[in-house]
Amino acid sequence: MSLRGQRAVTISSGHAIRFLITLIGNSSVALPAHWVRGIVMPGSAGPDGVATWAGAHYEPTDLAARLKVKSRDRSADTRLVLYGNEEASRSFVVDRVLGLLDVERAQIHPLPTQFRGRERERLLGFFVAPSCVALIANPFWALELPLRPQALEMFAIRFPEREVEDGAPRLPLPAAAMNEPVPISSGTVR
Amino acid sequence: MLRAQLHRQSHTTGSRAAHPRVQNLVVFSVAGQRLAARTEEIGGVLPWPGTTPVPSDTQFVTSLIRYEDSCLPVFDLAAKLQATVREEHSLCLIVKHVDGPLAICIDAAVPSLHAVPRSDVQYQSGLDPDLAGSCVAGGEQLPLINLATLGVASRRPA
Repeated sequence: MSLRGQRAVTISSGHAIRFLITLIGNSSVALPAHWVRGIVMPGSAGPDGVATWAGAHYEPTDLAARLKVKSRDRSADTRLVLYGNEEASRSFVVDRVLGLLDVERAQIHPLPTQFRGRERERLLGFFVAPSCVALIANPFWALELPLRPQALEMFAIRFPEREVEDGAPRLPLPAAAMNEPVPISSGTVR
Repeated sequence: MLRAQLHRQSHTTGSRAAHPRVQNLVVFSVAGQRLAARTEEIGGVLPWPGTTPVPSDTQFVTSLIRYEDSCLPVFDLAAKLQATVREEHSLCLIVKHVDGPLAICIDAAVPSLHAVPRSDVQYQSGLDPDLAGSCVAGGEQLPLINLATLGVASRRPA
């Protein structure tokens, strides 16, 4: 499977963050793409629900239920996202993978102050994508790790000051990411 | 978009019109229930753009609408009134809320402006901190709602 598209918003200067945008129920949920280890078919997980990829094990977590979103029935578009860092890894089902998007830092908005409940732990904010408003899931919360302030900053990619046309195929990865390329694939696991 | 239905008293001389004996109110309806609010708490009225749901634990704040280059939170006033608004036939009331701009889905009937004598406005503190009191506007007795602090007072710890 290939991603449906990778687009770049206009970069004027400074930082951007690359997101994997998924659809869970009626919500577009974005996750910092740097921790995406793979995208596989749901049947790729073992009978215990654990997916194994490149020697790493990904325990299943019901992200939809934790987000309090009602997911759709399984379909041909359903995928299992393998997500992790050096400390933790999880797999979760999404109804559809919409693609990758590089979003300029200035285009990322925190949740408005009027949202004052536990959703502030689950969601770091939102951005307006070409076809939707994407809610940014807190990657630390998704991995059930201790939450930290300014969580998105560690995912920022610095770009040289230049214009990148809308639809540019790719943006340069930071040095750390180039040393550790993130596989995004729907290939068979195990 | 507001339809002016100014009270006769507002058409007096300039010095009297500027006198604070008049309260400017906007009358609108949510799920058929007529409400009044202070004009200075309202930022505008737009066609309802549709919402993006947000999985939220905050009572009555469960979605966003697109507004200019960003989004605004939506306060579900109909849900607070235990009613339902048909969003496809609605308008969006932009509120100057103390926590930042806020959107409310209101009925398609265009809100009307009223200049009401202060004596027709009764402020009272009741069980619901979102209600400022009541008023008489356009011959109707209406609840006066605190739009600028909607949902704020009720969340303060006792």
